[in-house]
Amino acid sequence: MRILLAEDETALAQQIKSVLTSEGRVVDVARDGVEAQFLGETEPYDVIILDIGLPQRDGLTVLKSWRSKQISTPVLILTARDGWSERVDGLDAGADDYLTKPFHMPELSARIRAIIRRKSEQRNPVFEKDGIVFDTRNNQVTVRGLPASLTAQEVAVLSYLFNNSNKLVSRTELSEHIYEYDGDRDSNTIAVFINRLRKKLGDGLIETVRGRGYVIKLAQ
Amino acid sequence: MISLRARAITGGVIWAIFTIIIGVFGLASYVDRLAQERFDELLVTRHTQAVISVAKSAMTQNSIASGIGEASYRRPFSGQYWQVIAPDGEVFVSESLVDARLPRPGPNTGKISIANFVGETDEQLRRIEEWLTLEDGSIWHVQVASSLSSLLQDRNQLRGNLLLAFGLIAILGIIGAFLQASTTLRPLNDLRREVLSRWDKEGGLDVAGYPVEVAPLVNDINTLLDRNREIITRSRRQAADLAHAVKTPSAIVRNELEALQRNGQPVDQSIAALNRLDAQLNRSFARIRADGGSSSINTYTDLDISLGRMSKAFTSLAGNLGKVLISDISSNLRVRMDRTDFEEVIGNLLDNALKWSATEIRITARDEQDHVAIIIEDDGPGIPEADRKTAMMSGQRLDTSQPGTGLGLAIATDVAYAYGGEVTLGTSDRLGGLKVTIRLKTSGF
Repeated sequence: MRILLAEDETALAQQIKSVLTSEGRVVDVARDGVEAQFLGETEPYDVIILDIGLPQRDGLTVLKSWRSKQISTPVLILTARDGWSERVDGLDAGADDYLTKPFHMPELSARIRAIIRRKSEQRNPVFEKDGIVFDTRNNQVTVRGLPASLTAQEVAVLSYLFNNSNKLVSRTELSEHIYEYDGDRDSNTIAVFINRLRKKLGDGLIETVRGRGYVIKLAQ
Repeated sequence: MISLRARAITGGVIWAIFTIIIGVFGLASYVDRLAQERFDELLVTRHTQAVISVAKSAMTQNSIASGIGEASYRRPFSGQYWQVIAPDGEVFVSESLVDARLPRPGPNTGKISIANFVGETDEQLRRIEEWLTLEDGSIWHVQVASSLSSLLQDRNQLRGNLLLAFGLIAILGIIGAFLQASTTLRPLNDLRREVLSRWDKEGGLDVAGYPVEVAPLVNDINTLLDRNREIITRSRRQAADLAHAVKTPSAIVRNELEALQRNGQPVDQSIAALNRLDAQLNRSFARIRADGGSSSINTYTDLDISLGRMSKAFTSLAGNLGKVLISDISSNLRVRMDRTDFEEVIGNLLDNALKWSATEIRITARDEQDHVAIIIEDDGPGIPEADRKTAMMSGQRLDTSQPGTGLGLAIATDVAYAYGGEVTLGTSDRLGGLKVTIRLKTSGF
């Protein structure tokens, strides 16, 4: 899952990125409103964390611009301003949730998970298929009760496929959601990750649709 | 301090009474003198008539009486009398005197003398007497008297009429004083009304619409209104900037401390101290805002707009949590409160309700004459009666199982009180959880 973090405070941005990365997310950081608006308009993020008080262009203006261009990526606004009016302004402008500074990092993680779940219309934070269980709260994967050891990028691929279950996901789409903006986006490496996942979790979980992509089919 | 209206009316009434008293005395005295002069003129005419009659007569009683020849001299005690004393001492009198006589003659000074006297029937009379020397050298005494009763009666009637007229003038004067006071003070009343209305509206007062005497005051008020707005806006901006400047570093410190805590470092006390610091800052920022808000000028909130957008935002937040928010808001409600502060109160209370409710929250707003009641209910565990007072105090968290500072209720209460409103806690009959009722003054404009 790829996240845009628009936060001008370097130390805070680094802390958030570090925590989210450790949870298997891919995080791009924008330092000002102009950069945030550009990235939000050009990259396919799964979630955007948007600080309202950004330099150059404030977060509300950026958010309104995205929504006016039909960019419906879920947005969590961060605000250090004191007062409900600003939060309501943000929600009015199309934000999906808000968090006020200072906040507890686990709460931010929980909000992000909830937003991703809502986006994929998945009520349960735990995915399960044929004895394979993926818990999105801690990114733990078990196979018939035994923990499976996955790398961060394998978790990222699995997480994206589970969150978009029953939907065909192309290699390009997968690479767009598991690599950072300036990362090496070789879509061929996706095939390598898929193979590794099949070895660790079995062949039945991820199905290949030749020439088009991959899908995890879950009972609806 | 006595009001301007009372001063103007009292001054007007005192001046009217003073003028009327002087007028009544002056006019009455003039009228008395005029009546007296007319009476004397008539008496002199009667006397002249008697003198002519004496001079022309054949010196007999009959001839004098027929010479004067007026009916009132014949009617007994008619109030009109004459008396002539011949040189030989014989006394001729009008029939009206019957057997009475006019006073004895005074000494012969060669002039007419006029004097008042009391007649034999205790009648107030005025007489003219004269020693008359005819061509033949004979000396006669001619005296004419008239009753003063008619004069007194006329005078009293005239005085009565005067008093009545001046009484009417006094009433008109007092009414005039009232009218003048309200006409003179109307610009000040307009000013008061307009200042009150500007409480709710943008812009200053129209200086050109006031008399020149009041215009400088209107200018001063405009300056004060502008300065007040500036101060409030500046203090709010400073508070917001300060919050922004403090909270981001606070978030960084918190994240560092929590990371250390997760790694088993003993940082519990530092985290607790940071919690206290954040709570205190939140409370202080809310108080700065409330203090500025309660004295601000353009302070009204249209509930259709504000509660509308808050309901929409919280409906979405409730939906995120699988809960529902039901709004029942009467239209066209307005409260005397700044919109930002109003949203702060409602935001904190709805946030609490969202946090503690199981599945449902209700927000109701209705008109209560000079107040608007906003009720927020939920189906959560509620707050026991014994703990309700504590819940409205700063930083009191009754249950630490949910994240938060425990400031929501306290901030909402502080801000509502700063505007003369009130917040009460109870149990929702409908949903079973907490019921928070906020009463705020309605905006009359």
